[in-house]
Amino acid sequence: MPNINQRVATSLEKFSQKGGEKVSNYVNAAGKALIAPMIIMHNPFTKEDEESRKWAAVKQPVEAVITIAMQLATLGLLYKGIDKLISKGKINFKYVEEATKDVSKIPQKIMEACNNDVPKALKMYKEQYNDIFKDRVGAVLSAATYIPVLAVSNKIYPKLAKKLVNNKNESKPSK
Amino acid sequence: MKVNLLNKITNSELVNKHIKKAITDDTFAAKTLVTINVAKDVFAYGARFKTTMNNKEIPEERRPFVAAMDLMSGIVTAAMQIGVGYSLANPKFQNKIWDKCFKNCQFKDVVAAKKGFSQILALIGSTVLAERILVPLIATPAAEVVEKKFFPHPIKKLHTNPSFISFADFEKDIANNKNLNTFV
Repeated sequence: MPNINQRVATSLEKFSQKGGEKVSNYVNAAGKALIAPMIIMHNPFTKEDEESRKWAAVKQPVEAVITIAMQLATLGLLYKGIDKLISKGKINFKYVEEATKDVSKIPQKIMEACNNDVPKALKMYKEQYNDIFKDRVGAVLSAATYIPVLAVSNKIYPKLAKKLVNNKNESKPSK
Repeated sequence: MKVNLLNKITNSELVNKHIKKAITDDTFAAKTLVTINVAKDVFAYGARFKTTMNNKEIPEERRPFVAAMDLMSGIVTAAMQIGVGYSLANPKFQNKIWDKCFKNCQFKDVVAAKKGFSQILALIGSTVLAERILVPLIATPAAEVVEKKFFPHPIKKLHTNPSFISFADFEKDIANNKNLNTFV
């Protein structure tokens, strides 16, 4: 029977290799779409009326879905573009270049992980540099996408909220 | 031109030092991930607050609470994510959990796995636990307070008053110093 911890352990390796920005966006969107509306609607510490809370709650999943769709599309293109530049040799980091000439500059941690195999360590060092660079550029792009995301969600969300609030009012017996 | 700019970035001491530290120091990598998330959120919530306040498609009586919710979520998110995310990025705390869960597991690359674990722990803690559970829990009553204090909207209270038409009328009344007692 496969060990669940072993599966998680393998996923952790993959997560580290693939970079955090994409996963960070998935986790963020899932939390926003599924958890936040429930907390807003069933918060015991507020006396705000149900309709206002409904308006605030509906906003969360609408924004989450539009955000993740936009970020996946733009980040996919960005990562492809950066990968292309890397494969053409147009992105070269100073510290990686220095480590290529002088292997003592490869961090000890990477050498240990590669059992002191220099070509393997150099490859890993370069890949990690590229991955973190992609992550940072991706983070800037993710922030930039909020502007169009908000523009779209501000159009869609009030319509959806109106529908949901009206349905609720219609189904309530009048006092 | 573009490649020249790219070369400047990839050769800059600041960028290289930052990336090297993120590779060699797992705690720094995890804290950076949390900090980036906070920065993105502060920007996003600020923009959300502004656009919500100006969104005419949201009914006037709902707009103040929705906007106050955006504002308070932004403020509480930043504080909470830094607090929870940084605590979870603590190496001692992480080592304890790591030993409990993965002591007997096989790894092709234990360094990468530990790094991934460190990042995902900080991320789940700061984005799911803090941002999506604790933040709405705190921000909802906080938004209620902010709404009442800074965006008092009479429409909700005077919903039954047929003479009251819009928020703009209320603003005019305030400017003319009329009917103020009605709204207290």
